Amino acid sequence: MFAVRNCRFFITFTNLKVTTRNPENVFSLGLWQRSLSIQQYENPAGNNDMPIKMDNPYKEPPKTCILCGVTVDYKNIQLLSQFVSPHTGRIYGRHITGLCGKKQKEVSKAIKRAHHMGFMPVTLKEPAFLKDPNVCDIKYPE
Amino acid sequence: LSHAKYNLTSSLFFQLETAAALRRTVETLMGKGAVVRSLENMGEKTLPYKISKHNLRHTRGGYFLVDFSASPTIIPSMLDHLERDIDVIRPTILKKLPQKTQEECPGLVPPDHEGKSFSKRK
Repeated sequence: MFAVRNCRFFITFTNLKVTTRNPENVFSLGLWQRSLSIQQYENPAGNNDMPIKMDNPYKEPPKTCILCGVTVDYKNIQLLSQFVSPHTGRIYGRHITGLCGKKQKEVSKAIKRAHHMGFMPVTLKEPAFLKDPNVCDIKYPE
Repeated sequence: LSHAKYNLTSSLFFQLETAAALRRTVETLMGKGAVVRSLENMGEKTLPYKISKHNLRHTRGGYFLVDFSASPTIIPSMLDHLERDIDVIRPTILKKLPQKTQEECPGLVPPDHEGKSFSKRK
């Protein structure tokens, strides 16, 4: 009964038991009764003030990887070289590139194809592309 | 076209006598019944790594892209012919896949741990 005043649940519970008209209890009783009535209230006039159902207008667009909407081609070695280590020429993993599954696979396949067809060097990164902007999240560059 | 079901792209690079070699390649293709749609020159560049072919070590080459339609039966013989050509350093014949529409990308979907393939028990 001590901190009961601040707890809504306990207020309703105590109100059911209250019979005596203490000044404290009268106040809480009135609030509870009013809130009940508001819930059951329906506007007879007809103008609907209830919230309209719509999907979240503040919804963020779905997070995409950086290659979303970009075609990956084995001939475009500049793009492919961005996902390759500059020191060893190894292809970076998914946790480094941050690409989605599909795109990572496409890039990987394209790089291997470019290696085999003689478009892209294997053990290093093409020197002309070393100054390209870094896209990958490398913590400790190998 | 009745026989042509594939769109094939062949990338190969030549030594420095390109015109005659190109002509030979395209003529062989047409002789085997392929329809050559386009021939692109991707420039003459230093090779990404030195390639040894036909008893020679190559450092520079011209890249060419031949876009053609053909029936799949001629591909092995075509590849064999290209391998035997002294001027061709590295022939490749790839099937040209239909361009996928890019709008289907769902974006980065968080992994579904309650899927059927992943059982939390065991």
